Amino acid sequence: MTPRHLAALVLLVLGSAALLLSVLGLLALPKPFARLHALSAASSAGLPLVGIALAVDTGPGRSAVKLLVIAAIVAVGGPVTTMAIGRLVGQHEGVVEEDSPE
Amino acid sequence: MNAWLLAACVLLGGGFAPCVALACRGEPQQRLAAASLAAVLATAVFLLLAQGFGRSSYVDLALVLAVLAPAGTLVFTRLLRRDAVSGKGE
Repeated sequence: MTPRHLAALVLLVLGSAALLLSVLGLLALPKPFARLHALSAASSAGLPLVGIALAVDTGPGRSAVKLLVIAAIVAVGGPVTTMAIGRLVGQHEGVVEEDSPE
Repeated sequence: MNAWLLAACVLLGGGFAPCVALACRGEPQQRLAAASLAAVLATAVFLLLAQGFGRSSYVDLALVLAVLAPAGTLVFTRLLRRDAVSGKGE
C-alpha cells in the first residue's frame, strides 16, 4: 500500500464520516432551522473530502482536476441551497416577511 | 470489493436510505432539506462507484448531478414559497 493510497483512504473515511454525520444530524436534530446545519456538513466537508480522496488516488492529471471541480461545484452549491431552504422555512414560520426582497 | 465500492455501499444504506425516508414524510420544507442532502449523497456515491469500477467516464453522471441538483432545489423553494404565500397548503 503506497502512502498516496493510504492518504486517499484516510480522506475517504473522513469524508464518509462527515456525510453520515450530516444524515444523523438531519435525523436527530429537533427544530427545522437546526436541521439545516446538517446540510452544510455534507456539502462543505463531506463531499469535498471524498472528492479530494478520489483525486489523490487518481494522481495528477485531467481526471483529478475533474473530480476537484465536481467537489468545488457541490461546495459552492450547498450553501446556496441551504440559504434558499432557510429562507423558505423562515417564511413558513413567519420569521421572514413574505414579500421581502429576493 | 475495494474500499471505494464499500464506501459507496455504506453511504447508500446508511445515508441515502434514511434521507429518502425523511423526504417521503413530514413538512414540505423538511422533505426538501432531506432531498437536498440525498442529492449530495448520490453525487458522492456516483463518484465512488466510478472509481470503484475503474470507469472514469461514469464521473460525468456525478458532474451533471452536481450542477442540476442545486438548481432543482432552488426551483422547489420557489414552488413551495408560492404555496406558502397563497395559503393553499402544502
